[in-house]
This record gives sequence, structure tokens and C-alpha cells, in this order.
Amino acid sequence: MTESPGQGGAVPHPEEGTAPLPEGLPRDASRRLAELEDRPGHKGMFTSDLSVNEFLLIKEVGFHPLGFVMGSSIYHLGIQTRKWSQSQELSKLTEAMYEARQLAMDRMDAEATELGADGVVGVRLDVNYYEWGSDTAEFIAVGTAIKAEDGHSYRNLHGKPFTSDLSGQDFWILMQTGHVPLGLVMGTCVYHIAHRGLGQTLRSTGRNVELPNFTQALYEARELAMTRMQDEANELGATGIVGVRLEEKSHMWGDHTIEFLSLGTAVARSEGEHTIPHPKTIISLDG
Amino acid sequence: MTLREEVRQAVTAVASPAHPGSDAAGAPRGTTSDLTIDETLLLHSAGWEPVDLVYGISWWSIPWGVWQWTTGEVQEASAAFTGAVNHAVKQLRQSCEQSGGSGVLGVEVGVRVSSHHVSIELTGTAVRRTGADAHRFEFVSDLSARDFVLLTRAGWWPLGLAAGASFVIAPRRTAREWAAQQGQNVELPNLTQALYLARERAMERMQQSGTAMKAEGIVAVKLREGKASSSARVIQFVAIGTGVHLRTSTHRSVSPEMVVPLDEQVRVFDVKSLRSAASE
Repeated sequence: MTESPGQGGAVPHPEEGTAPLPEGLPRDASRRLAELEDRPGHKGMFTSDLSVNEFLLIKEVGFHPLGFVMGSSIYHLGIQTRKWSQSQELSKLTEAMYEARQLAMDRMDAEATELGADGVVGVRLDVNYYEWGSDTAEFIAVGTAIKAEDGHSYRNLHGKPFTSDLSGQDFWILMQTGHVPLGLVMGTCVYHIAHRGLGQTLRSTGRNVELPNFTQALYEARELAMTRMQDEANELGATGIVGVRLEEKSHMWGDHTIEFLSLGTAVARSEGEHTIPHPKTIISLDG
Repeated sequence: MTLREEVRQAVTAVASPAHPGSDAAGAPRGTTSDLTIDETLLLHSAGWEPVDLVYGISWWSIPWGVWQWTTGEVQEASAAFTGAVNHAVKQLRQSCEQSGGSGVLGVEVGVRVSSHHVSIELTGTAVRRTGADAHRFEFVSDLSARDFVLLTRAGWWPLGLAAGASFVIAPRRTAREWAAQQGQNVELPNLTQALYLARERAMERMQQSGTAMKAEGIVAVKLREGKASSSARVIQFVAIGTGVHLRTSTHRSVSPEMVVPLDEQVRVFDVKSLRSAASE
């Protein structure tokens, strides 16, 4: 795919000949994370973008926030020619959108690992475009690293902290139902949807008809994105994916090219019996 | 009245407290707050009451030319930000103490950065314990009254605003790099690194201001980013949160209950505009 020195979750440090950093994080990141940790003569602290509600709910299920973690990557997207009248996946762009997000998430993971976290909750994935970069986009992943207070490890199959885009509230409910998150899973597909020919346009004018080529193209693109997400979940040994979102965006590619991104949290049953508490029904009084 | 007099009067009004000699003189007066009825009730239930709307404003200048003549991080701008925040918080505190409050809640933080100055505007509601005579200043926080009540119920108390900023000029690519990257799927390492470090620095400064107030943690961190000054290549990162510490020996459980609200609107049909994709 690429020859970028930034692969594998490491932000390169080209200008300095410093000693290799743990997990390949930039020096400032390691320094910031080190300040968060407790060590003799230095009292650590936690940072978190969780709201007060979320913070208290995370504490409620026996976790403590460790720190606000993030990862980012500025990526130059390749060019792929599209045929005007053909629906097709643009594999080069799909690869770019996937890999850039993966780079950002790997770095976020590396920061969480450095803090000794069991997981990262409230993960947000954003894409920024800047005026000064044509065909470039910044991919960002941010979240709050958390750790179990009883010393039990919640790391996933690969020995990495789990990631999850669930909010603190959803995380609490998930734990109540006897499930643990395994990882944020995603699938993406950049798809070019064919334009309609003149003949097709004329035939459908003024009539009730389905437009099979549009239907098919959008259908297939969504299926591809979701299948890829499911494959990732299978790899983690998940029993299900919760909170799946399917996002459709045109980014900067014009009318007929759309990215379908599906995102969710892979979960598995935790050991032991769990009785789901019976929810109370309420009618709130605020209009 | 001449313009000069008018300006002078406005400046004196801004510098003096809204209710001079208020409670110390024993004169009864009403309260002003931007809290909702619910929040006011909640505060009262926790033994607190709103006192007054308070504010702190500070402008700091940035030396001329720093945007043009530096590369990488613009240290002067970051320093101006820190200075402005500290000064605005000090003002907010003074204004809170003058109105007889012992803490400020729901602080709205307005940050404006232009080529020549950074301005910070803080507005919040001063609160105090009901029935207490002496009011020692305790905290400044951007948490809502609702969050404050929840937090204190669990044994945690807000301490102050923790903020940090960093301004960075995005590096340019050399012509050769640019040419090599055309049409390729590649990461841009120098840009990635510059922005990555800028974000980390903003968060680090926020952490340091948290450490300075002896906080055990910073909650509800908001990371704002965007274009600063007139140049599109200058990007600002601002991280703001509330430093908290535990006043009880251990965290107190709030024991939440699972509820199903019955008045939620049910979404039956989702119509979404995908015009850009569906139009011919």
C-alpha cells in the first residue's frame, strides 16, 4: 500500500536522533502521558473528556479513567479514475480511508497502552479538511483510557486495550447486561455510483419505477462496508456488534462518489451469571 | 456628555462590582443567575444557592509579526493565552468574592484569537452555601449546576478551570515531496507530526494547570480546534476542563437505576436527504 514511514502506529521523528520511544509515540506525547502517571515524588492525575454523568457511571462499574488519549494522521488520498456510466468500488480510496483511520486508532491505542489502560471508551473518529491541503485529510481518533480498579484485565485477544465508541451511559448498561466490549470495529467502502444514461432517464420520466442501478449500487456499497465490519468483529472473537452506525459522506469527491462507513463496538459475553435488572418506567415532567 | 467621558464611565462601571458593598452592608438584595428553575431547585436541595452573575474578561496582546516570522509552534500566542486565562479567572474570582459567593458554576468560556491579541471572556453564576455566614472562595468550574450536584454527591469537588492552548503553523511540503505524493495514498509525516504535537502540547498545558491547582483529575475536557488569525495555515488547539479532587476518603457510589422514559418520541420513519448522490 504505502511506503510511508508512519506505518504501524508510529509518528516519525525525522529531525532528531533520539532514542527510540516506547510504542513509537512522539516525545511530547510520552511526556504528557508520563505526567499523568503516579510515581515517587509526583502525584499523577487523570484527564477525561467524559461528562460528569459518564465519569460517575464508569466509576460505578469499577473502572477509573486514566487519561484523554488521541491519535491522528494527515493523509494524502490517491487518485482513481471513475467511469461515468459504471458503478464500482474505488478500492484505492477505500484503502486510503481505512488505512488513515487505522493509523489514527493505532496511535490512540499506543497512548492507552502506555498508560496501562484496559480500554478506551467514548471513542470519536473525525475527519478534518484544511484549506492548505488538496486531496489531504486529517483523521483523528480521541477517547478516554480507563482501567479496572480490581486489577482484572479487560484487554482483548491481541493483548491490546479494547476500544469502544459507546458513551459512559451505554458502557454502564452494557456491563449491566453481562457483556464486555472487545474493540471498535469498522468497515468502509468508497463507491462510485453510475450516472444514468439518456435512454434510462427518458424511460423513467413521469413514471413510477424503481431505479435499479442506483438501488443496486447503494445496496452493494452498504453491504460491503457492513461485511468488512463483521469480519473485523469475527477476528476479535465477538458474539455481536452493538451501536452500529452507518454513515454516508461524499467528502470532497463530488456528487456520485460516496463513502459508506459502518462503525460499531464488538462485544462478547463475560463469564459468570448475570441477571439484567428490571428497568423502571418513568414519565419525566420536562416538556 | 463627551465621548471621552462616556468611555471613562463605561470603563469604571466594568471595573467595579455590580453590587458594591452588597452583603457586607447587610442590605437585602435579589439574586441574578442564568440557571434554569430546575438547576436552582437542585442547588437548593444540595444546600447551595445562586448569588450573582459574575464575569472575568482579559485581553492579551501578541507581539507583532510572530505569525509571519516563526515556524512550528507560536509560543508567544500560547503564552498570551495562558496569561489571559489566568487573569480572567482572577477577575472572575474577585467578582465572585465581592458578590459574596464561594464558587462559580456554569462558566462559559469565550476564546477569541486575532493576529494581535487573545481575548478570554468568562461568565458564570456565583453560588454559596445557604445559611453560612463566612464564604471562603472554593472553585471556578464550567460544569452545570446539575453536574456539580452529582459530582459532590459522589464525593468529588471542582477546583478550577484547567485550560491549555497551542498555536501551530502547518509546515509546507517541499516541491519534491509534493510531486512524489501526487496520486498516491500516503501519510504526510511532517504535517501529521506538527499537528499531533500541537494537540499534545495543548493537553499537556491543561494538565499542568490542573497539577498546579492540585487536582486529582480533569473532567469534561473539551478540545476545540480551528483556524486562528487570518492565515489558514495557523491552527489553534484549545483544551478546557474542570479540575476535580476527592474530598471524602473514598469515592461514593451514586447507585444509578435503569429507567425507561415513556415520553420519548418514537422515530418511525427516517427521511434523509442524499440529494448530492441521487440527483442527476
